[in-house]
Amino acid sequence: MTIKSKHLLIGLAVAFTITVVVITGPRQSVAASVEDVAMMKSADRQKILIEGAKKEGKLMWYTTLIVDQVVRPVKEAFEKEYPFIQVEFYRGNAENLVRRMLAEYQAKRYDVDLIDGTVSPVMAQRAGLLQRFYSPLLAEYPAELKDSQGFWGSTNLYFLTPGYNTRMVKLNELPKTYQDLLNPRWKGQMMWSTSRGSGAPIFIGNVLISMGQEAGKAYLQRLKGQNIAKSTASNRQILDLTIAGEFPIALHIFNHHAYISKTAGAPVDWYAIEPVTATIQTIALAKNTPHPHAAMLLLDFVLSEKGQKVFQQSNYLPAHPKVPAKQADLKPGGGRFSKALYMTPDIQFDKGNEWVDYFQNQFLK
Amino acid sequence: MAKQPSSETYDLPVDSHPVPQARRIFGLSIFTRFAAETWVLVVVAVVTAYLVLPPLYSVIQTSLFTTKLTGELDEFTLSYYRDMFRELQVLGPFLNTVYFSVGSALLATLLGGLVAWIVTRTDSPLRGLGYFTAFASFGTPFILYTIGWLLILGKAGPVNSWLRVFLDHSGPVVNVYSMWGMVFVEALLWSPFVFLLLAASFRSMDPSLEEASAVCGARVWQTLRRISLRLMLPAFFSVLLLIFIRAFESFEIPALVGLPGDIRVLTTSILLDAQRMPPTYGRAGAFAVLLMLVVACTLYFYFRMTREASRFHTITGKGYRPALIQLGGWRYVTAAGLLLYSFVLLVLPFLIVLWASLLPFYIQPSLEAISKFTLKNYVTAIHFPKITDSIKNSILLGIGSASAVMVLTTLASWILVRTKLRGRWLLDLLTTLPLLFPGIVMGLAIMRFYLLVPIPIYGTLWILLVAFVTRYIPYGIRYTHSGLLQLHRELEEAAYTSGSSWLDTMRRITLPLLTPSFLGGWVFIFLLSAKELSMSILLVSPQTPVVSVAIYELWENGQVGELAAFGVIWTVILVSVAITYYLIARRYGIQQH
Repeated sequence: MTIKSKHLLIGLAVAFTITVVVITGPRQSVAASVEDVAMMKSADRQKILIEGAKKEGKLMWYTTLIVDQVVRPVKEAFEKEYPFIQVEFYRGNAENLVRRMLAEYQAKRYDVDLIDGTVSPVMAQRAGLLQRFYSPLLAEYPAELKDSQGFWGSTNLYFLTPGYNTRMVKLNELPKTYQDLLNPRWKGQMMWSTSRGSGAPIFIGNVLISMGQEAGKAYLQRLKGQNIAKSTASNRQILDLTIAGEFPIALHIFNHHAYISKTAGAPVDWYAIEPVTATIQTIALAKNTPHPHAAMLLLDFVLSEKGQKVFQQSNYLPAHPKVPAKQADLKPGGGRFSKALYMTPDIQFDKGNEWVDYFQNQFLK
Repeated sequence: MAKQPSSETYDLPVDSHPVPQARRIFGLSIFTRFAAETWVLVVVAVVTAYLVLPPLYSVIQTSLFTTKLTGELDEFTLSYYRDMFRELQVLGPFLNTVYFSVGSALLATLLGGLVAWIVTRTDSPLRGLGYFTAFASFGTPFILYTIGWLLILGKAGPVNSWLRVFLDHSGPVVNVYSMWGMVFVEALLWSPFVFLLLAASFRSMDPSLEEASAVCGARVWQTLRRISLRLMLPAFFSVLLLIFIRAFESFEIPALVGLPGDIRVLTTSILLDAQRMPPTYGRAGAFAVLLMLVVACTLYFYFRMTREASRFHTITGKGYRPALIQLGGWRYVTAAGLLLYSFVLLVLPFLIVLWASLLPFYIQPSLEAISKFTLKNYVTAIHFPKITDSIKNSILLGIGSASAVMVLTTLASWILVRTKLRGRWLLDLLTTLPLLFPGIVMGLAIMRFYLLVPIPIYGTLWILLVAFVTRYIPYGIRYTHSGLLQLHRELEEAAYTSGSSWLDTMRRITLPLLTPSFLGGWVFIFLLSAKELSMSILLVSPQTPVVSVAIYELWENGQVGELAAFGVIWTVILVSVAITYYLIARRYGIQQH
């Protein structure tokens, strides 16, 4: 090695060290008062949040919501209200968001401020990566739509029902109850997804909870004989296969998807078998959020009636009890169904593995 | 590259061994060559080890430890291996996996090989179609390609409805959710890879051997079977090995096509394991480690088999431009074959995707549906967040990873084929291992590595480039290795004896002669990297979106039509880039027939 290249190497090493110090240095000082900001209840809370947020200037939201449909409208509405905050987001599915957050926290890299999803916040909470928060708006929500310990609130709801091809199945023939699904007429005619959070496993969970373990298992053993086709495709794609006529019934799909396609003229509709499986889109604050003030303002916003109307206008089903869905009958009490079984993130996390195993052991050949 | 006088092509091969005296006489050039050899070895080994070893370590670690909720390693365990061996004892999934991988490898090799032979070695009309079909079909996003076939061959699809009318049958005639459906789709997906690799090898075939065979009175097919195919053993081994492994460990096609028909393979339970919370990849890791051992053995024997590299030399100092086989009346049959191949591999799936992209919701092909045509899906696709950035990034990454991989693997292959260094098969193994890393485990490993080491590429395009280069080394090595095996040492020896340096020899002799393999590999990796998903999905940041992740988002959340519109746009872009590159390269690199 020549002397010149040695100098170069030393130079590079120094440059690296400086870069590392610059990159990792200032972060810790910001994170110090996260808990104080998150739990603040004082009268001048809003004022303090705004002042702090002005200094922070931005926030990072790890989201499972669909950018085009709802993240962007929420961002726009929020930035209109607080023009000094820039909302940045990273979209991914629940597992990927949590994996990313875990890896970043292990490396002490704190980028994320908010994380949402039907189970991702709880996964992060169990790993100890969430900060409890207080928002005055949480009081407007019923108990099942907020965490008892204050780790999460909810923005919107999902209801999982059967969808069917209206050219292949007539309204009066539909299997209206869980028992009707056992009719030999439907053998080989139904498809469901393998997805833990919206497919066969959570359907199994619904049956086991609503019928009770023993009766539920007996029922599932009979359902097994119906040879329901399994697919790793998403629920949206399974519904599209039903529209294409591949399978007359998609057993467990999001009812608003069927509604959207029906409005476009597709030969498809949804109907409820009660209790309907319901999942909750929750949102939570990261433990070492680098922008706590801005993050709290966004939390307040999405939980408020004003923020909830943005979800409503985007054809999502708002969680707030006073904000109906744009198409009201997609939510319980809207005229098409009344009983829903809310699968809270905690139930999904604690029982989900059992349901996945049951599906894998019993329904897979 | 100089054209050889055609009279020489009729010489019978006399002696294909190098002249040993030359080395001793020209001691100086030998010295510089050995220095170059050592340097190349050091650089290639260090770069490869840097890329491959951290993920390898991670894969092994994943298979031996449980994970805590926080993602940290917990306790040492052998349970993943126990689970795997228990699963291996259940015959059904194991046999299904074997049928699927053997079937796909054979069918893909047969299809791709036949087309490669027609395109490169015969005077069949429509030969240009072969390359176009390979590029274009490989450019189609894989999910879309599969969905396309499900829609074509599905119960309600056009094939079944025509067959029903034709055969006067009441139920569906063809069931795509079956073993043959899986093999069919997988083999079609891989046949362009076979085509590109074998076409490169066929192009570099030594004509003298075939001509000798012809002179001795052998028929075309006899020559093909006893001379051409045997000379191409390394190339055939490469494609069979790669496709077999890829099919063995793949879960996409088995899940999308096989699972609805209750066909379970070994990877099915690995796939469903990812649904557990916290997600564990122990079984995926254990499965990968087992496969690595199997592949290590295979490579060892393959290496012993091709150690006598001279047996496979087809490009010698004598004219190597192979003569085209005159097919006579058979030209029409082969032309029809090419048309059929192109139709099945490309036109049919593309048409159904195009069809889906023009409809507000999917309707089986019919006149009635045409009245519903709309461009709405294209509007949605064009407005997809950061779409232009995604396209730019994906193309940059494709060009970057294809170039880096091909340069690295050309050098690595040169060491494997040209030098006598002991244990160099380990380098072959090292460059093949990334094939076996489960994408998700490898993505996690790379993400963690660059979060921990002070090399600030996390969240940039560079981390994706590192990941892609690592992932695609195995493909590059198979292209360049089989290409280089065909290149007789005497050409390089001639350059050395004429006083040329190693670099000059590489630049002016080896690389130009290797062009067909190099280009084939480049295009293949370019197209492959544009599809990469399992690592990209973890490694992209808000600032570095890529197309494959956008397609996945649409696949998870969008409607079939939106996904199809996006796919059509992307296929057109990719194919344009690949064809432009190929045309330029052909103009400056390869001679045309």
